[in-house]
Amino acid sequence: MTLLLDRPTRPATPPLRRDRRRWAWGLGAAAVLVWSLAGAGLFGADVLNPGGTAQFGRFAAAALDPAIDAAFLGLLARSALVTVAYAAAGTALALALGAVGALLVSRTTWGRRRAGWLAARGLLAVPRGLHEAVWGLLLVTLLGLDPWVGVLAIGLPYGAVTAKVVADLVDEVPRGAYRALRAAGAGRTAAALYGLLPPAAGGLLSHAFYRLECAVRSAVVLGMVGAGGLGYQLALSFASLRWEEVWSAVYALALLCLLAEVAGRAVRRRLAAPPPSARRDPVLTAAVVGTVVLVGWSCWYLALAPAALVSERTVAQLGSVLAAAWPPATDGDLLRTIGALAVDTVQMSVIALAVALPGAVLLAGPAARPAGDSSPGRRVAGTLVRAGLLLLRAVPPPVWALVLLFVLLPGVLPGALALGVYTLGVLGRLAAEATEELDPRPRTALTALGARPAGAWLYGVLPLAAGPVLVHALHRWEVAIRDTVLVGLLGAGGLGALLASELATFDWAAVTTVLAAVVVLTWVVDLVSDRARAALR
Amino acid sequence: MSSRRVARSGGPDALLPPLSRRALLAGAGAALAAAVTGCGRSAASSPAALHVGAVPDQDPDVLQRLHGTVADAVSGALDLEVEYTPVTDYAAAVSLFRTGDLDLVWFGGLTGVQARLQTPGAEPVAQRDIDRAFTSVFVVNTGTGLAPSDDLTALAPLRFTYGSETSTSGRLMPAWFLREAGVDPQGFPGGPGFSGSHDATLALVASGSYQAGVLNSQVWRSRTEEGAVDPAVVRYAESPPYADYHWLLGPQAAARTGVPDLRDRLADFFTGLPPGDPVLELFGASAFVPARASDHDRIEEIGRDLGLVS
Amino acid sequence: MRYGGTTALAGVDLEVSPGERVALVGASGAGKSTLLALANGSVPPTSGAVRVLGADPAALSGRDRRRLWARVGTVHQALELVGRLRVVHNVNAGRLADWSAARAAWSLVHPQGLPEALAALDEVGLADRAFERTERLSGGQRQRVAIARLLVQQPDLVLADEPASALDPVLADRALTLLGELATARGGALLVALHDPGLVRRHCDRVVGLAGGRVVLDAPVAALSAADLAGLYGAAT
Repeated sequence: MTLLLDRPTRPATPPLRRDRRRWAWGLGAAAVLVWSLAGAGLFGADVLNPGGTAQFGRFAAAALDPAIDAAFLGLLARSALVTVAYAAAGTALALALGAVGALLVSRTTWGRRRAGWLAARGLLAVPRGLHEAVWGLLLVTLLGLDPWVGVLAIGLPYGAVTAKVVADLVDEVPRGAYRALRAAGAGRTAAALYGLLPPAAGGLLSHAFYRLECAVRSAVVLGMVGAGGLGYQLALSFASLRWEEVWSAVYALALLCLLAEVAGRAVRRRLAAPPPSARRDPVLTAAVVGTVVLVGWSCWYLALAPAALVSERTVAQLGSVLAAAWPPATDGDLLRTIGALAVDTVQMSVIALAVALPGAVLLAGPAARPAGDSSPGRRVAGTLVRAGLLLLRAVPPPVWALVLLFVLLPGVLPGALALGVYTLGVLGRLAAEATEELDPRPRTALTALGARPAGAWLYGVLPLAAGPVLVHALHRWEVAIRDTVLVGLLGAGGLGALLASELATFDWAAVTTVLAAVVVLTWVVDLVSDRARAALR
Repeated sequence: MSSRRVARSGGPDALLPPLSRRALLAGAGAALAAAVTGCGRSAASSPAALHVGAVPDQDPDVLQRLHGTVADAVSGALDLEVEYTPVTDYAAAVSLFRTGDLDLVWFGGLTGVQARLQTPGAEPVAQRDIDRAFTSVFVVNTGTGLAPSDDLTALAPLRFTYGSETSTSGRLMPAWFLREAGVDPQGFPGGPGFSGSHDATLALVASGSYQAGVLNSQVWRSRTEEGAVDPAVVRYAESPPYADYHWLLGPQAAARTGVPDLRDRLADFFTGLPPGDPVLELFGASAFVPARASDHDRIEEIGRDLGLVS
Repeated sequence: MRYGGTTALAGVDLEVSPGERVALVGASGAGKSTLLALANGSVPPTSGAVRVLGADPAALSGRDRRRLWARVGTVHQALELVGRLRVVHNVNAGRLADWSAARAAWSLVHPQGLPEALAALDEVGLADRAFERTERLSGGQRQRVAIARLLVQQPDLVLADEPASALDPVLADRALTLLGELATARGGALLVALHDPGLVRRHCDRVVGLAGGRVVLDAPVAALSAADLAGLYGAAT
């Protein structure tokens, strides 16, 4: 039997055509990285300070010898409750705001009215552009000692992020069901409730738990700037450089993060593979009920009273701060400083990402839990890498900045590296999670044809993971821009340091200008990373 | 233990006060906290209570003892309910003093001036004997090879770090004395650092990342006595004396607590503490003396000059 | 080759000799895919023994085991392809057993072994799509890419899980011819799960029927009439 394909003439092989846009973005990123490293003085004078290894060693050695006296541990346990309460109440507020905000920024809402959609997105850049700590600083001048400060400082920026994520999720749901409902005469809201929300629900729940874990870390940063809880204890011990106590607080924080992560993981697993039963899933029900109870307890524990938000004093303080803050300062010196510091800020964030992204990609493999059985050695290695990443993100950036400054000379670099190792902790976890959720079949097939582990990873994992990891990385780049406020005061601080000093000297007009600059920078970064995402898709 | 005192003006690298009153109550016992307060802040705290604050610029365990002692002593002497709130940073304390959340605050020189300017009617109450003539110590890394001297110009070419940005003894006054000596206080190579606390300044100078720094002389002495100073750090110079810490009373406190002569009674209480009193012990002082606003005129002037008071 | 296992399969005792072309038939869930996974090493047997090309993979370690698996090629309904990679990289993945990690990495930037990859793609009629993203190809085209990967791998034992499910009759015949030639040219064997009785008749010489994880039929194709075969599939589906 002779079988021939219907190819009368053999087609010429087309030339290999490189995707110009992707190459342009790649080369552009490399150029920006070199520019940033040059700005950090890496190609110039010395950056290392070997004399400080003893100080760094003291910090590192204390990791093995944390303070464990009963009184201090009791203090930490009570502080952890405060941190949890702020995180839970803040997340709840963020989700509520996010749900409302998502309506405002969803393409579905705006339809073809693109200008309105762009304006709404721009509006969201304002709460998102300011770090939680900055929100805390601003709110304390309005609300004083009220616990709302901590809750709002988490809830407002997270609400804006959540709104964006929810809107993207809803917008990505296929339109068919929604259109059918609209065609059948359903109103917009009803159609969205029945046609758009159910398919997006899984992603939403998963995002909610991710936010909770982030909120725990944010609550600690807020604690460091005063909101009480673990971060407050950490700040006290950090100020007198009692590293043993700092590590105890870090371990307590790591434990909280781990709990949030484990809960989120259980929920995601259940959503991805629901048990084959018509009844409600007990794990999911418990998670939802537990969350509601936790939020209720948090509001009670923090003694949140809505009246405080609209009290006469708050209104009066708002009036006086606004009067002092308007018009913004526009003197040339300030604007020039802002310009120079914006450059520092961008360079710091780029270096931070350049540290975090390759690290995260390399560690994602070992950190991901293998789908099937695995050797004990592999499991131990995986646990160690995951624990390492957890500690990297549990040590707050200001602590990293100080201890790195022991072994590096002052400049952009210590702060950038501090953000880099912290971001590595976060991004490594996200990348590992993305790897776990990949289709395992391509890699299994490659192993089955005898490929080496490195080859199987290059051809079966990397191409699949690159997309989601890059999306996470671009998002963390935006976050790193805001986080420069945490590592700023030593050496070169970027806009964050300037903001902190203007706030310390109560120069409200200058504060307004710097805030505007930070928001614009965040917005530009958002725009650039949006374009980059589109090009890499 | 007594060598650890209220001594550091910088405060930790922190910008806000602890916002949860519950957190503090929890310190006394979580169950008690739960029982005492179930609703909003203003309802939970007694309206007539005197709200006292101080920056936790000493070691945390001292802080824990401090607030009980001071609150009890003031409460006993004035027959008032006293609530004590440790605050993690002076700038936040300034805001809380302005909003009226804190009535009586232990301020540094500069932040006291900031608070007074933002809160018309605020009055200084008392200061420690040592606060009338407080000093800062300039320290250098031994690697610089500098011998102790009064010549601050030798510091100009060094990498230099202050403490907290609005610290009087770790920033404002040293910057002033540097300028007096002809050194641009912002002109150090790479710009000056702000370590965030006096202990961090010591560690950074010990590491050599910064070759020189400046800190509160009381912390310097206390750490020297404890033997906690790295041998790589040596004293280079000590600044001339200036006025620093003081208790500041808010304008609304007298009316709210229903004690018209509150300021005088507080001043009498502090200045009348007998030598060896636990409160004096905690504050590392042999006596409190009356304080006047004019004591800090020079600080205000310098603060304006350096752009730290607006 | 002998398989004996008790996972989704129980009491299976099957031996395939060199030069044989064996069709696996049975309803979905009958254990065909599990049997193929046992044979290519992606699933270890929970009990029993698997011998592949005369060796026991469980007794081998590291490099030796990889060398063994390099001689076994599998087509899995194109699910093993990575959509984001260009077609040529998915084909070249068949050579990863030979390539060093560095060469594998460099090939992603500058494709290596291009003549062989293009020749293999030409065999399946896709040479003109070599540099396209695989996800842009149709289901049938992707199945042909998976076959091209096998062509560059040059395995001795060819395993295939419904390799022609998305192909039209002409292309399906072409694909099975390629797989059969590939297997027998090197003295190996072909073990293929198939649903189409016509393809079984034309390309295989032995039929193994699975049901509920057990072998229920094992006979030469020639011994089965067209009606028998059709009946077998009728019962199976």
